[in-house]
Amino acid sequence: MTIEELIALVPLLVVASISVILMLVVSFVRHHRLISLITLAGFIAAGIMVFQSMGQPAIQITPLIILDDFSRFFIVMTCFASVPAVLLAYDYLRRSEDLKEEYYMLLSLAVLGAVVLAASNHFASFFIGVELLSVSLFAMVGYMVHGEHKRVSTLEASIKYMILSGVSSSFLLFGVALIYLNFGVLTFEGIQQKILNGTLNGYGMMGIAMLLIGVGFKLSWVPFHMWTPDVYEGAPVPVTAFLATISKVIVFALGLRFLHESGALGLFNVQAALAFIGVLSMLVGNGLALMQDNLKRLLAYSSIAHFGYLIIALIAASSASATNKALAMEAVGFYLVAYVVTTWVAFGALSALSQPEHGIEAENLKDYRGLFWQRPWLAAIFSVALLSLAGVPLTAGFIAKFYVFAAGASYTLWFLLGILIISSAIGLYYYLKVIMEMCKPAEDENDFQKAAIPFENKLILLVMTAFVLYLGISPQALIESLNSAIKVLM
Amino acid sequence: MILYLVLVVGLIIAMLAGPYFLGRRRVSRAVNEPYECGIVPVGSAQYRVPIPFYLFAIFFVIFDLEAVFLYAWSVAVKEVGWAGFIEALVFIVILLVALLYLWRMGALDWRTTRQKRDRARVQPR
Repeated sequence: MTIEELIALVPLLVVASISVILMLVVSFVRHHRLISLITLAGFIAAGIMVFQSMGQPAIQITPLIILDDFSRFFIVMTCFASVPAVLLAYDYLRRSEDLKEEYYMLLSLAVLGAVVLAASNHFASFFIGVELLSVSLFAMVGYMVHGEHKRVSTLEASIKYMILSGVSSSFLLFGVALIYLNFGVLTFEGIQQKILNGTLNGYGMMGIAMLLIGVGFKLSWVPFHMWTPDVYEGAPVPVTAFLATISKVIVFALGLRFLHESGALGLFNVQAALAFIGVLSMLVGNGLALMQDNLKRLLAYSSIAHFGYLIIALIAASSASATNKALAMEAVGFYLVAYVVTTWVAFGALSALSQPEHGIEAENLKDYRGLFWQRPWLAAIFSVALLSLAGVPLTAGFIAKFYVFAAGASYTLWFLLGILIISSAIGLYYYLKVIMEMCKPAEDENDFQKAAIPFENKLILLVMTAFVLYLGISPQALIESLNSAIKVLM
Repeated sequence: MILYLVLVVGLIIAMLAGPYFLGRRRVSRAVNEPYECGIVPVGSAQYRVPIPFYLFAIFFVIFDLEAVFLYAWSVAVKEVGWAGFIEALVFIVILLVALLYLWRMGALDWRTTRQKRDRARVQPR
């Protein structure tokens, strides 16, 4: 390993060292604020370092890790989007009676997994990243099992997630093994060569299908979505938000890199399977969300639908013309960023009303009745998030959906776009239902809306809402950095 | 050979059955004790030994897998040179930190939570 490679690797090493440093510190002093500050400093330092190196040539460090602008873009996003996970959890844990410091170790390990995933172009690092991410998430989902006011559904959610994630990992691993059986290589680019040579046979196709199933579990695409609402409901709010944002977005980014670099996206079977999954995800996700009175479950179904929309851009990225391909990849990148920012606002609002000291989270729709009269600013911010999820103009969600639409139109995916329109219309109904609930006259007895909102929570709400509006009004800056990020994949 | 086997089995049966018919039975408290004329046993033999399987697993990971990887390294120690040495060092240090953390967490304290609580009650700080 040369010194340049080592320097390029420093941000990853920083993220990796956070959990070791935390273990050392916790061995001697248990100081909640100190621990969270160390974690925060590590994420921000790694994020800034990678941000500084944007635009530099790509470096392949060992066969496992590649640092090009695409991976740098997603590493920066991971590091900065993990900051709210620290801040929200700081406030959440401070008010609960569980062990507090271990959460940050698990979080930093999960972020390390995400960073490795973003920078991987080899199946070994792919699998290591997925496992690091999901094994830490098992424990994070079940974090609130102790204490007097524990949440009942937490342990159930954790075990459900563990079993299903284990199943999906085994699909992933078997898929990798089958792909190796067919092609004899484990790098994404090596597979492209083999597919172009025409060595693809039934084993390789089966392997790619297994990989899609494994990734589909993590992204909760529709035939594999059953765990999502229960896990979202059972996990503490900061963990739910982390699960909904980083863990899904990074797996999707990696899926894009794999399908693109290996050339598997051009195969008809893969496109057909993706289209099938996409239609189901859009319709089932939005359809089931209609019935929900529980806001966390509602957001879970909405995330299923959002990853269904993204499939349209993913399929369009197989276009032969370079402009259309660039458009589709920009659409994916923009949609992922907009989705992360918006989801943080939504969960930030949920967290602002929750009372972890009593083991209660503001997850029922009736907890939000009359919020506009009690807390107009919070209600306004939450409405912005919901409108952005629905894709209403002036918010990031609109530009993102517009992008996906343009990408799909350039590849003439009219049927999928038709489903997109129908399911967006369904989606608008249940997002607006929540806003309507907030507009109704306030009831007298509603404890949720009285507690003071902690400073960290306010900070996140303000910054993320500003991002949602900024991306919705002037998306140019993000589009330019996305342009350079996807250039390496072209 | 067969005769010998029959004799052995027969002798054993005779020795086991003989006292049953010949001996007389006496019922008293001391008879059923494990050591009829020795130390008087205290408490039940069926008490529960805490076996924290979870901790076993963690310590297994720390020590046994460390040995596995170091064994692989020891075969190639000359070929991988200083870079390999530093990487092995990083690996060992991380495991040591994990051990330190577990020790400070009280993972080496092999008592049940109940025993720890009782002890704390007996010896107030």
